[in-house]
Amino acid sequence: MQSVVWVDEVDLAQAVALAGSKMGRLTELHRAGVEVPQGFAVTVDAYRRHCTESGLDARIEEVISWLGSEPSDAAVEDASTRIRTLFEDTPMSDALAGEITEAYEELCLRAVDVNVPTAVRSSATGEDAADASFAGIFDTYLGVSGPQRVIDAVRACWGSLFTGRALAYRLRKGISHHAMPIAVGVIELIHARASGVAFSVHPVTGKPDRIVIETSWGWGEAIVQGLVNPDHVEVGKADGRLLKYDVAHKSVVSAFDFADGRVTEIDMPAKLADRKVLDDEQIAAIAAAVTAIEEHYGYPVDVEWVISRHRRAGDPVCIVQSRPVTVTAPVAAPAAYDPVALAQKFVFSGKPIPGR
Amino acid sequence: MATVVPVEPYTGEWYPGFQPEFITSPYIIDGTGPFRKEDEDKFWFLDFHWSRGMTPLAAFAWGQDGYCWGTQHAAESLPLPPGRGITSRFAGTHLYGSAIPETDPREIGARANRLGTNLPRFLENYQSTWEAGRDELEATWGYFHGLDLTAVPTGDLAGLLGQARRYHQRSMEIHFGVMYPLLVNFLGFYGACAEMGINTADIGKFLQGEDTKIMETDRGLAELAKKAKAAGLRQVFEDNSGNAIRTALSAKGGSASQWLTDFDDFLQVYGHRQEATCDVGVPSWIEDNTIPLDMIKSFVLKDEDHDFEAAARNAMAEREAAVETARSGLTKEEQAVFDAGLRSNLEANFPWWQDDHNYYIDLKVMIPLRRVCQELADRVGAEDRNDMLYLFWPELQKVATGSTYDGGLKSLVKDRRQYFDHWGALRGQMPKVLGTVPETVEDPVLIEIFGLNPSAIRAVQNPNAAEETVLEGVAAAKGTARGIARVLQSSDDMHRLEPGSILVCESTSPSWTPAFGKIAGAACDGGGMLSHAAIVGREYGVPTVTAIGIATVAIKDGDEIEVDGTNGRVTILKRAADLAGA
Repeated sequence: MQSVVWVDEVDLAQAVALAGSKMGRLTELHRAGVEVPQGFAVTVDAYRRHCTESGLDARIEEVISWLGSEPSDAAVEDASTRIRTLFEDTPMSDALAGEITEAYEELCLRAVDVNVPTAVRSSATGEDAADASFAGIFDTYLGVSGPQRVIDAVRACWGSLFTGRALAYRLRKGISHHAMPIAVGVIELIHARASGVAFSVHPVTGKPDRIVIETSWGWGEAIVQGLVNPDHVEVGKADGRLLKYDVAHKSVVSAFDFADGRVTEIDMPAKLADRKVLDDEQIAAIAAAVTAIEEHYGYPVDVEWVISRHRRAGDPVCIVQSRPVTVTAPVAAPAAYDPVALAQKFVFSGKPIPGR
Repeated sequence: MATVVPVEPYTGEWYPGFQPEFITSPYIIDGTGPFRKEDEDKFWFLDFHWSRGMTPLAAFAWGQDGYCWGTQHAAESLPLPPGRGITSRFAGTHLYGSAIPETDPREIGARANRLGTNLPRFLENYQSTWEAGRDELEATWGYFHGLDLTAVPTGDLAGLLGQARRYHQRSMEIHFGVMYPLLVNFLGFYGACAEMGINTADIGKFLQGEDTKIMETDRGLAELAKKAKAAGLRQVFEDNSGNAIRTALSAKGGSASQWLTDFDDFLQVYGHRQEATCDVGVPSWIEDNTIPLDMIKSFVLKDEDHDFEAAARNAMAEREAAVETARSGLTKEEQAVFDAGLRSNLEANFPWWQDDHNYYIDLKVMIPLRRVCQELADRVGAEDRNDMLYLFWPELQKVATGSTYDGGLKSLVKDRRQYFDHWGALRGQMPKVLGTVPETVEDPVLIEIFGLNPSAIRAVQNPNAAEETVLEGVAAAKGTARGIARVLQSSDDMHRLEPGSILVCESTSPSWTPAFGKIAGAACDGGGMLSHAAIVGREYGVPTVTAIGIATVAIKDGDEIEVDGTNGRVTILKRAADLAGA
């Protein structure tokens, strides 16, 4: 059983089972020709073995058994804290630690860097639906460098499988805590000039005829966590024409803190706050990547992308994450001008006409 | 000799227990009348078109044949799925309207299916449909115009009254038969544009710039003003107003007489026009020259001639720019929808029709009935030619068919004139709405013509409307202006506007056009982005806000106010009372 698999080497058919859905999709994107960062995953099996061999499973079961069938929120939070402490206190086997150290050094070699900073990301298993409801609740650590820090970050990610929210969800759904093991991705941290998210349909209206991009300076954490009001860009899918570029006042930025050795949120420098983030060439490159990914999967997607400091015009942008888009109200593209349908929709619907 | 087979044997009793009202079933769903207690369940809005109030004959003719018959006929023939047209009630002399809802879901579904067939058919055939209707009405108009009423035997006047009434009724069938589908198409396009993220303030611009009969009339007036200046008559216009201008020109003779001949020629084409919508109580320009002479006066007194061609060019350039801006923000798929919608709305252009049809219908359709009434008044020895306008239809019929116009009716008319004046003075205090107020309305006429959008409906329910100092409405013509408010009840008060003042009124009609050459801004209770004030405001570059709901309530004559036509806001800066005290 493999403890470590590489994004660009793992068998595609096995990728999600071994590396979790987030890392598995990176492999799939890589095979489809999309630019993705270098990296490896600490596999689901590695996690399982860690839990079994160290005796963690039994101790976790014990904590959970105290909870009963309908625990209070406070009891769940308390159990979560206890279990996460167990993860922190339980060392990794020397064999696994050795494999991760070896893989990390290989990553440094590939990046031609010493102590290359990485993103350590939880990569859960399970269906996309569960994936969607867990979106963003498992831990991610940006800017982790050096083998020991990477190993600690992996253990912290494992522990995040037992956040209060995740625990409560599994209890509610009657899912066994062993049924949803987790993999952890360790990928090269792209030194971001700008990053953001992009949707192959409008995420609010569901309009499928456009690509919507939200972007800010630096890393994407501040955008994903909703800490910054990003620039909003819309591009026509059929002809790639820029439809709209709303420049936002961006007050916070996710930046690399070299003293602290991690990516953290700081006040946006005044000179960058109101500046337009993307130029036309960059927008076209993002749109091209999103369109290709949607075509590859055959369903609407949202992606997280990064433009590296080293990127030159004409290079592809780097995709660090992709998943099926969750749209509240999917709509068909407008087919034709239909005065009768429009009258029914806007005049005789009992609702005010939009814009009035 | 025609053969007569007598019906008399069959004119007695019918089924046992039958009473005539058992089969009273008018085509229209609901006719006009004074308010009744049960009307409180419906939503009634004060109609800005008739701010003077209406005489008995005007109330009956328009209230019944225009409002009720016209809209209800059209709402059936299109049809409107959830609506059966509009009905009307009077509070004193003031007209309130209310949409008649259709609530049966099965019936609404059946009507929606018919709309699905009829609306596209109408839009395909719009040009020929409107032209055929217009030509029919012009032919009937020509018939009345060609009559020498003084030569008509008195015994024929009753028949003529009926014909004139039917002409009005038929006009309104055509009027609303065209207006409803045009509006439905326009509002659907509007909704589609709004949903595609197009700035809704620009939608009116997409359809502007087409020449209309009303603009043609304005150009004719401006041309006469130029001629007057060239003939050295400026001083006469400066020194006099209204009909006194005519008296002074007649006395002057020479070039002034020639000018009057030109003026009368102009009136023969454009002067069959009342300064009110379908109101038998108001004189035409030919009958009373006050309005056209004052309009010419305002052109004469302007230092620079209004450049109609430049305005038209600007309107067209603005239209093209607005379309270009809108299209650039749309996807390819959306552009296809927008382009087709724009094409459809340019071919069946509601804003254009809204202006143009006034010339053919609204502003002259009551002239035949009015003239026959005046002729009848002459024949029966009334002291005032307009006495017949204070009779209800059966009373009028009686007088026309030989009953004498004597003491009883004469004193009634006297009382009714007092009633008319009494209620006319109360106009400013009439509630803007009565009955049960909804959040939103579905009748296209209510939405677009009356500006009854949710914000206006909320505004009119505000019990503190009179104290409000910041008012929201539709941004109808861009720009900001400050000035002293002149709150006018009707265009009869237009002489009170000074240069730089701000017009505040219920709504404007084509007769207010000259005011826009003088005022700095305009604020109206009713109307949408296509109302007359909005169109003229844009053409003259006068910041204008419409559909405020409570402008004439909140703003007091003499207040210092600011009109922000870009954002649709009016702010009362200083109250007249405080200004006077300062």
